[in-house]
Amino acid sequence: MNNKELYTGFKNMESQTKLMLTRFSELREAMNEVLEKNSELEIENQHLRELLESRSKEDHNPKTQPQKTQKHSESRKTLEKLFNAGFHVCNQFYGKPRENGEGCMFCDEIINRK
Amino acid sequence: MKFSIKRSAFIQSLNTVSRAISSKTTIPILTGIKITADSEGLILTGSNADISIETQIKIDDAKNELVIEEEGSVVLTAGFFVSIVRKLPDEKMDLSVSNDLQTTIKSGQSEFTINGLNASNYPHLPEIDTDDSVTFSGDIFKEIIGQTVIAVSTQESRPILTGVHFELSAGKLLAVATDSHRLSQRSINFSGSDRDYNFIIPGKSLNELSRMIEEHQDLEMRIAENQVLFIFGDTFFYSRLLEGNYPDTSRLIPEESTTQVQLEAPTLLASIERASLLSHASRNNVVKLTITPSDGRIEITGDSPDVGTVEEELEPESVTGDELEISFNPDYVKDALHSFGKTMIEISFSSALRPFTLKPTEDGDSFIQLVTPVRTF
Ligand SMILES: [Zn+2]
Repeated sequence: MNNKELYTGFKNMESQTKLMLTRFSELREAMNEVLEKNSELEIENQHLRELLESRSKEDHNPKTQPQKTQKHSESRKTLEKLFNAGFHVCNQFYGKPRENGEGCMFCDEIINRK
Repeated sequence: MKFSIKRSAFIQSLNTVSRAISSKTTIPILTGIKITADSEGLILTGSNADISIETQIKIDDAKNELVIEEEGSVVLTAGFFVSIVRKLPDEKMDLSVSNDLQTTIKSGQSEFTINGLNASNYPHLPEIDTDDSVTFSGDIFKEIIGQTVIAVSTQESRPILTGVHFELSAGKLLAVATDSHRLSQRSINFSGSDRDYNFIIPGKSLNELSRMIEEHQDLEMRIAENQVLFIFGDTFFYSRLLEGNYPDTSRLIPEESTTQVQLEAPTLLASIERASLLSHASRNNVVKLTITPSDGRIEITGDSPDVGTVEEELEPESVTGDELEISFNPDYVKDALHSFGKTMIEISFSSALRPFTLKPTEDGDSFIQLVTPVRTF
């Protein structure tokens, strides 16, 4: 292999690596988006299920107070579960992954609200 | 336009307005300094998308040695104009602008001619009503900035959190910043205005402002729809405000606690700084605090699998309540402790998972820092 071939070989490899890198970060970006969307849908789904459940219960025996608090604490639990799975459940960063498992005081307030 | 001036006075004002000038701006004329000469003196202006700074060099201030022979205005590219003025040979300098905007700068035996830009193309600064204003001691305002701006978010994903939220109501000013991991809140009482205000100033603007306020200087603040203006000395500092509603932070600060530690802020700071030497080398930057009220002791540990471990015991002024083991990012606690200076503080915890508060033991409600722990399991 002569010098020129060596040079163009390197040059080609360099541009290919660069391309790979861009593709890589594009993919990672896309994956993040999918993950965010996924957790958002999970939360939404849970909310809808709860709503459905409470509606159908209300139909059977309307206006029972204890049920409401129970529903309340259940949805709280769901949020906590999602938070522990590594996602924000707060209004500020709803559905976004928590970086390095760091805490979030907005999430904390929602999960522990009295 | 034609004037002569003492170079050192001119340089000082050029430095002031240069703070607002960015070479990266997409609007070419904003890479320049606008110079206007009128009957009262010179007005220099620098501006970028976020802040604008205007400063006056007054004719009747003898130490400026300012003589204006002909009024007028011009815009000169900041980068090399400021360098030229700094390097001129004599204590005094003359500047004159011809009709075709050719600008001649003379000092001693040196003469430069540079191209100016038409000042009428320079954007107008926002106009702000004069009757809505509040005046603070510059020293206190600087302190408020220093104490809150540390908790401002550096991430653009939630732009509103990159600012400090100011609420003025019933003679009380409340300044809050949070990046969701930590929060800093400072309040002071003030007099002279009974109007209510609610606005968010970008943290970056406040950092610049803070560097410019001199000791014992009064600071007048005027607020408009989407701009705030600070006036101090001969300088006008404009910043845009962040749009939107700041999240309700009043509910974030816990009122009850189960474990309390009182100690000198610098003692804990030094200890955490040592522990963070190791945590920084680790992938998860975490320091653990073990509190044992029955022994009156706390222990700080840092553990980095690749580097080693550190353990340090402290005997605080007082340790009360339940035993507790809690882990946190030492950088947040370091920032918080720095902002207290040499003061006795109280740290209050309610659980290993809930945010904890740091505040000075005296006058505790006027300054509160909140830090969320890190879950280590
Ligand atoms: Zn959150």
